[in-house]
Amino acid sequence: MTLSSENDRELLRAYHGRGDLEARERLIEQYLPLVRSLARRYSYRGELLEDLVQVGCIGLIKAIDRFDVDRGVELTTYATPNIIGEIKRHFRDKGWSVRVPRGLQELNVRLSRLIEELTVQLERSPTIPELAKAAGVQEEEVLEALETGQAYATLSLSAPSGGDESDDLDPLESLGEIEHEYEVSEDRAVLAPGLRVLDERERRILQLRFFDGLTQSQIAQQIGISQMHVSRLIRRSLEKIRNEVAADNGGPASQIAQG
Amino acid sequence: MTDAIKLTIPHQKSYYGVVRLVVGGLAARLDLSYESLEDLQLALESLLGNEAYASGDDVTVELSLRPGSIQMLVGPLDGARLRSELAAADGDEEGVSLGRLLATVVGDVRLEERDGGHWVRLEKRTAGSGSSA
Repeated sequence: MTLSSENDRELLRAYHGRGDLEARERLIEQYLPLVRSLARRYSYRGELLEDLVQVGCIGLIKAIDRFDVDRGVELTTYATPNIIGEIKRHFRDKGWSVRVPRGLQELNVRLSRLIEELTVQLERSPTIPELAKAAGVQEEEVLEALETGQAYATLSLSAPSGGDESDDLDPLESLGEIEHEYEVSEDRAVLAPGLRVLDERERRILQLRFFDGLTQSQIAQQIGISQMHVSRLIRRSLEKIRNEVAADNGGPASQIAQG
Repeated sequence: MTDAIKLTIPHQKSYYGVVRLVVGGLAARLDLSYESLEDLQLALESLLGNEAYASGDDVTVELSLRPGSIQMLVGPLDGARLRSELAAADGDEEGVSLGRLLATVVGDVRLEERDGGHWVRLEKRTAGSGSSA
């Protein structure tokens, strides 16, 4: 055991055993260079290094708080995946694919604002040419930037939905109306597991869109987020449910959501 | 010359982005609102993004422009599954079925038989330049 790891253990024991917050602070300071070095690996993806360091620190703090001194591993070993995990989660939550070039990310962010502004100004949803003109770019660039934003919501949850080849000979093909209704209610019954993956806001958005008939811009206004964010959340929610129900059934999803 | 685009892609999620871009290009040409474009894309995504609806390796999307509307024909798809899910739209207050989703974002939804396979015909009204139809 190295001197530094022995020092870590003393500090960890002080924090976990006696609630010594100063020991915790010292551990955080000690591991800041590790956080910074890991954050640097992800800084070319369009985020400020300092922002990523902050995010990485959350991972570090979680690692320190959860670390079991008796486990026989070093804090560095335990903290590294926690820090990286937190940074990756940040990218996921922010809605950006790590593959999206910075220029397109920035255009996407600008478009999100322009959609809000033009919707208010024109009292209707703007067209692609209007967005292109307002952003000072070509229509194709607008489409590409919108696509990169949309793509993330799907890609981030792109678990295979598992097409079942045996469905080619689906016996339901020959069923009558009554049996057909039975099948539908069976579909509803599988909703519950899928819905568990949605948070309250996601459920509310689906309710507003598909049951109350509100448009995305109306929902955006009501919830207090951008229209583009509403769009992403709708896609993400539907995809989450599809994946969850498919996983639960060992096959593809039928019903998509519940209001 | 017809105002129509026909696209055949492998029925896999990874190819759906291609269709989305084509629909976007068409929306720009038609002066459709951003919100309408979102609706069209969500409708197509619900059919193409779910490989469970596949009835073969490939799927075709036909987009045609009509006076006051845009029509999308998607197929061939798994007819039995679609018939069940599209029927669940009416009066179903407990869940967002595929039928409800499509009816909300597109409007007119029909399941058709064509060339021995099942196709979904979607029609969305486009109330003119810059409308939020």
